[in-house]
Amino acid sequence: MNRRDFLKAGAAVPALSLLPEALLAETTIQENKNKFPHALQPKMDGDVKVFELFIDIHQQEIVPAFKFHTLAFNNQVPGPEIRVQQGDKVRVIFKNKTELNHTIHWHGLYVPWRMDGVPYVTQMPVMPGQEFVYEFVAEPYGTHFYHCHWGTLLHMQSGMYGSFIVENADDPIKKQFPYEREYTLLYSAHDTNFIRNELNGMLERMKERMYLMKNGRFDKERFGVFDTKEEFVKAVENGYQPPYVVNRRAPSELPQPNWFTVNGKSYPFTPNLYIKEGESIRVRLINGGTEEHYLHLHGHDFWLVADDGVPVPQPWQQNTLRLSPGKTLDIIIEGKNRGIWTFHDHDTRRVTNNGLYPGGNLLALVYEDMPAEEAGLGMMAKKMGLKSLPIVALDE
Amino acid sequence: MLKLRWFLILFVVFIGANGRTLFAQVSPEIQLGARGVMSFNTNVAAHEATSAVNDFSDTGLLLGFRQKLYNRFRGQLVIGMQFPDANSDLGQVFFHQTFLRVEDKSNILKMGRSRVRSALIEFPTLRDDDALYFTDVLNPFSSGENTEDNQYGNVFELAHIFGQRTWLRVHGEHFTETPVLPATTETDFSLNAIGFSLQYRVPETQIWNQPFLQQIGIGFNNFLTDRPGYTSQTDKMLKNISVSTILNLRPDPVHFWDFRVQGIYNAGFREIESAAAFGEFARAKATAGFASLRYLYRKLERPTLQLALSFGYKTFPDLLNNTDQLQVVANSFYRLGENFDAGFQVQYSRNNGDLAGLFGESETRFQFGLVYAIDQSWNKQFSDRNSLLNLEHGYIP
Repeated sequence: MNRRDFLKAGAAVPALSLLPEALLAETTIQENKNKFPHALQPKMDGDVKVFELFIDIHQQEIVPAFKFHTLAFNNQVPGPEIRVQQGDKVRVIFKNKTELNHTIHWHGLYVPWRMDGVPYVTQMPVMPGQEFVYEFVAEPYGTHFYHCHWGTLLHMQSGMYGSFIVENADDPIKKQFPYEREYTLLYSAHDTNFIRNELNGMLERMKERMYLMKNGRFDKERFGVFDTKEEFVKAVENGYQPPYVVNRRAPSELPQPNWFTVNGKSYPFTPNLYIKEGESIRVRLINGGTEEHYLHLHGHDFWLVADDGVPVPQPWQQNTLRLSPGKTLDIIIEGKNRGIWTFHDHDTRRVTNNGLYPGGNLLALVYEDMPAEEAGLGMMAKKMGLKSLPIVALDE
Repeated sequence: MLKLRWFLILFVVFIGANGRTLFAQVSPEIQLGARGVMSFNTNVAAHEATSAVNDFSDTGLLLGFRQKLYNRFRGQLVIGMQFPDANSDLGQVFFHQTFLRVEDKSNILKMGRSRVRSALIEFPTLRDDDALYFTDVLNPFSSGENTEDNQYGNVFELAHIFGQRTWLRVHGEHFTETPVLPATTETDFSLNAIGFSLQYRVPETQIWNQPFLQQIGIGFNNFLTDRPGYTSQTDKMLKNISVSTILNLRPDPVHFWDFRVQGIYNAGFREIESAAAFGEFARAKATAGFASLRYLYRKLERPTLQLALSFGYKTFPDLLNNTDQLQVVANSFYRLGENFDAGFQVQYSRNNGDLAGLFGESETRFQFGLVYAIDQSWNKQFSDRNSLLNLEHGYIP
């Protein structure tokens, strides 16, 4: 490929795939379904739904030509969706295939405390090669999620999060806003440089530590793990230097995210929300990252119907919501204004890819029954040599 | 000619301005390496008065910039300066590193002033040149006035990595000729050495995979000399062969032991039967061996105490005056803080035959020193080739 071909190909690929005509094509609509978390199919053990999750290191391509190493449940970022009925007995067999420690915290679920996934509080970390079985009853209903609770700052933004949906046959939201289709959107923010440096450092440390542990040479000071506060204070008095003083090998700066994803992808490969005129759709929004997102939908108000999975007593309309870290919000969008509408973070620093606008968590609400001729383009676009009006582009 | 020059100037300005406008977002990784080595030396030499020196040689600063290039490549610029040995005739500051490097996953191209490939492995001594006559192939163009002549040169090097651990390097160097010619004389920077090496080595990041064999290698260094009386390039070539290995005797994270050894065979020029000058010393047939046994105590996942005992022996079979030399180096380093060590080293060297006249009969040197070495990066953009993610979980350019 010569330079001219290279430039032509580079410019054509992203633009063509995002033309309105392409957005309305049946193949695009079908492919878009793969941009939402796949539901993990359980095996039944009596009346218990058994799910199998494993964690491994994986390469995630956020957008073409940009990959980074992630921690991925079942080789997916986000992890597969676990969807059960309220009151179901759930067993999750969690296998750690990495050389790092992990746990799983069931965010928003009323699990027994020993199943809560907080290392050294409710359980020991799940160490390399180990398996841990979580068992609980699915309560309460609503939109929840799961994530790693070991090295949370690193492990969550490395990809260890997934949706956990508890359905209720008498869901009041569905009664009030009848809908057929629903979408799950998991937001996250990633400092890929922090992730890379931290993962490399932790992998090196863990190789060393696992060798010592296998040989029965656990050293409290080396691991920074003490039985009591008094024991820790005494160790410091005897000359122990805690990691936060001088032994720190991780970057001293807190992460500054440079990639913002929805379901593990950044614009222009974020999922789109398809709707038809007169249809209502439910969108489950989950923030598995460290940043706040101020999500704004163009051309519509939506109904905020659930907060942290709990139905709000009086849904109210708005066009911008605040999705804080750890928060889940459910909204209902009514198809009342035909077109293609962007749905994006109004803190536009998060609508960037590695600092370049546009990118990040930008996505679109697309009326799939919109006549193709409405996607026609003006004279200027024709002069630019475009076949149709591109709703998105890669440069300002 | 004038038009061409103006065109070039305008072109460069245009490129510069355009670059600033279009690619303002691309800021490089910035790397800073600094090493301070300060020691108080007491030298006890045969037939000479005992001397004491406050020595800060080997102290240096390295500044690096690197960034992703198009496709899979990365580019890097390194500029470094070092304080050379006293009386080295290199000035107060010596720019020992000034090179550009382009690399991808398996290939490296390096051009510029840098460390020459005169040794396959490094040894645990206080300074890089403490055992230079045993650990490095020596520069036959040098007057011996300084050790840097043997360590740094103008380098052109291509490396290819097979798999992750087998390195093939082909290199050409211009080794410094000393004494340096007057500035008014046309200076020749043509290649005066070529060589290649093949090494198997385990990346440092995988040391806790518990490998016994850390490194094994062989290298060839050939100097293109002006050997008097010979016209054939083959006959004028001074040939050196090096072999080395590092064995992790006990790759334990707390009590770590390793052993390393390197041998250098210098085929020499048979007409050299005495060594009254450094040039003859470097061109005489010789076999050198240097070995180190090292113990490293790592208390909290960082080096705390290191003890090393090294021994070197070199023999010159063609020199008529029964010439050989030996060196013993013992040292210990204790970590005072992150990257900051206190060290004590004692080294004994003995020179027999011709070398007694060249370097003195024997010397015992006691050194108490402080060493501070940092290696910091900002605006990091990618993993190193040998990061565990890249090695064990798929390389990302």
